[in-house]
Amino acid sequence: MGTHNKLQRWFGAAAVLAVGLAGCGGDDNATPGSAAPGAYAAETVTVKALDNTFDAETLTIAPGTKVVWENRGRNDHDILVAEPGGAETFGVTKADFAPKATYAHTFTKPGTYAYFCSLHGTKDKGMIGKVVVTGGDETAAQPSVSTVAPSSSNATTAPADGPATLAVPGDFATIQAAVDAATPGDLVLISPGTYNEAVNVTTDNLTLRGLDRNTVILDGQLKLDNGIRVLGAKGVAVENMTATNYTANGFFWTGVDGYRGSYLNAYRTGDYGVYAFDSINGQLDHVYAAGSPDAGVYIGQCYPCNAVIDRVVSEHNGLGYSGTNSGGNLLIVNSTFRNNRAGIVPNSGSYEMCYPERETTIVGNVVYSNNQPDTAAIDVAMLAMGNGILSAGGISNIIERNLVYDHDKSGIGLVPFLEEDPNDEIPGDDELKMTCAEQKKIPVTQPDGALLWDSKHNRVVGNVLENNRAADVLLASVGSDLAMLGNCVQDNSLTTTAPNALQDLAPCSGAGSGDWNAGAYNIAAWLTEQKPPAQDWKTAPLPALTAQENMPSAATAPPNPAVNVPAKVDLATIQVPAKP
Amino acid sequence: MKRTLRAGSLAFALVAAGCAADPSHEHGAHVNTANGAPDRVITGPQGGRGQFVVECALSHQAQDDPIVFPGRPGQSHLHDFFGNTTTSAASTLASLHAGGSTCEQALDRAAYWSPALIRAGQVVPAIKSTAYYRAGPDVDPTTVVAYPQGLAMIAGNAAATKPQDPAVLAWTCGTSGERATAPPVCSASRKLRMVVTFPDCWNGRDLDTASHIDHLAYSRAGQCPPEKPVPIPQLQFTIEYDHAGPTDELRLASGSTMSGHADFVNAWDPGKLQSEVELCIHRNIVCGITSGRRTG
Repeated sequence: MGTHNKLQRWFGAAAVLAVGLAGCGGDDNATPGSAAPGAYAAETVTVKALDNTFDAETLTIAPGTKVVWENRGRNDHDILVAEPGGAETFGVTKADFAPKATYAHTFTKPGTYAYFCSLHGTKDKGMIGKVVVTGGDETAAQPSVSTVAPSSSNATTAPADGPATLAVPGDFATIQAAVDAATPGDLVLISPGTYNEAVNVTTDNLTLRGLDRNTVILDGQLKLDNGIRVLGAKGVAVENMTATNYTANGFFWTGVDGYRGSYLNAYRTGDYGVYAFDSINGQLDHVYAAGSPDAGVYIGQCYPCNAVIDRVVSEHNGLGYSGTNSGGNLLIVNSTFRNNRAGIVPNSGSYEMCYPERETTIVGNVVYSNNQPDTAAIDVAMLAMGNGILSAGGISNIIERNLVYDHDKSGIGLVPFLEEDPNDEIPGDDELKMTCAEQKKIPVTQPDGALLWDSKHNRVVGNVLENNRAADVLLASVGSDLAMLGNCVQDNSLTTTAPNALQDLAPCSGAGSGDWNAGAYNIAAWLTEQKPPAQDWKTAPLPALTAQENMPSAATAPPNPAVNVPAKVDLATIQVPAKP
Repeated sequence: MKRTLRAGSLAFALVAAGCAADPSHEHGAHVNTANGAPDRVITGPQGGRGQFVVECALSHQAQDDPIVFPGRPGQSHLHDFFGNTTTSAASTLASLHAGGSTCEQALDRAAYWSPALIRAGQVVPAIKSTAYYRAGPDVDPTTVVAYPQGLAMIAGNAAATKPQDPAVLAWTCGTSGERATAPPVCSASRKLRMVVTFPDCWNGRDLDTASHIDHLAYSRAGQCPPEKPVPIPQLQFTIEYDHAGPTDELRLASGSTMSGHADFVNAWDPGKLQSEVELCIHRNIVCGITSGRRTG
């Protein structure tokens, strides 16, 4: 009988069932302020601003069509309405319409709208143009010479005319709507405002850009998962905006080839601030990240990653930077990691693929005061607390010319990671040059017990270290012979090391000498130390958030998909940074 | 059907006799032995296959089972409920949709539950659950269909008195790849987990059946059987308990630790579930990883 009741209960939902199977898309995102342009219908036509004419000069469109003007000339131009006071207000100044810039306006009201370029014409002579918006009920546009048929709903841009700019909320009420309408190469340009959205991107080569980094805010309201999530789409760049209050990540690329995150703020997030997983050929620059229990900035599961982290500030996170099983032309340069539980923590482990972490290059960073007791923190952050740059089971990392000071434990530590719950054996040296894709094909062997991932073959050279209270440079293992791990330490400005006199014991050039047991460090004690409790990421205190530098020319710079990333970094020119 | 009803009657008799609070009573209410097991134990590192993952805190405990004992509160063994905050014997799809969620993914309002873990007469607190959603082993991920709203599933055999196939029910420590048929001794930093793997094929018609399993099956060699031809995401559901160390006194509210099982009723936000299936499973993208290491 109970069963019968039960069946009725669940079967009562047949209507919902049908909806579920029909595929009702991810419209869980809330909508920011402005109303949806009802007939946006993703119809876009392009007008070229040439030197010095508009082509087409007269455009006839249906209501709801977006007109994108592109400056294809070498001159500055502008667009002014010839008869102000009409039903449509549009136009752009020369500052925002430099060569290669675009301007878009969606016309919803029938009428004829004349415009001109004040630099190369007058209201009725020279560089002039006209948009005719047809009446609401007619079907065919007027067959004038210059009529341009709106493109189909799935082709927002006019492909032959190059990328379009899709304005939010001007053309599309939500970022997701603009992203869904965009085609490869387009720019989604977001005006200041708060957007309660979790945006998914699956189209290649888009540029998503905020007009102002500090006031274009994606807010997950502690309920939505990711601010912007790029899933397998190549070459997607995200620029000049803020994401906060997301239960997973602020900005997230997964499974992509080509990514760039620039001039981004990410704070108060449940996992990571800016997160690139299983992705290659990337760049994260001018990022500010605070308030995540895991890492503010993370690149993981890639080899070779071929990626650059440059001019990032990461603070008040569990970890400033973390990268599990990443490396291979992976550079972390010119950045600041401060007041996290731990600063820069490349690490190895078999719960994700492509172990071990290897060949990360860490140069020219300022790393200080990573002892912060009141952050959210995953357990690795608790374990790593009080360390500046900590290789936890990393191999062949290069740590050079960093300024590292004020840590309760080490300034630079090369330590093992004890993995109590492994999923595979530690690979042999023959796997270290295999790509991540190749490594994924190797069957796993379940270990019998815990694994110890030692830090090996790392170079610590030319760093400046002060006031790191366990040791400025610390090498440790549990049971392995430190002298055989191949790490070297040379030409650093430092006061203390563990073991003692590391620069004599393990120089990078020439043979070392001395006693490895003198001043050896008991790393196992970290496992049982009490640490200040992890805070809830939703309520953990954050530093006062100050306005961050905007990207140059956000309003006018052309789309810039992540197709030639990372930018080349000239490591040789990077000096030890000055103390802030 | 008959077995279910008889089991229900037994449970009712126990309640009437005032024994319901004693978790040692094993009533075998779940009938779940016929739909087999995955081809292989699903384990190993994450990150190689498309998945989406939801972690949910423990919501509440009750001797309710909305699948097996609907409308009859207090008649089941003690369950830990995760996800939907309102799950009870009185639950309907509408009530679940109106409920809250303990999940980090707030749009997951599914009801998940499993028998409480007991040690020496004391309930061992469940810390959280982790639900991994993936295509079944070797199943073409582009063919996977989101669960219909209200789909009811049970995995594992609550009446088992012998070890179950570890491809369906297993125990482990932390996120280890080990899969044991009995609880292993775990360290305090990698606590005990129960791992239950649900069927990944559906008959395309019934949200539930009298046996609670006949509408579902496990795929074989990447194929769903003809009578249950619809691939659905394979839900692997793990429960982390606040337990480390000796295991000799552990049992489940449903019986011994061999009686492990878990239940699921889909009340996800339909749009979000659909988009996660399309974005993460169809596209074979890793939408999330759990290291199981969050502490705050």
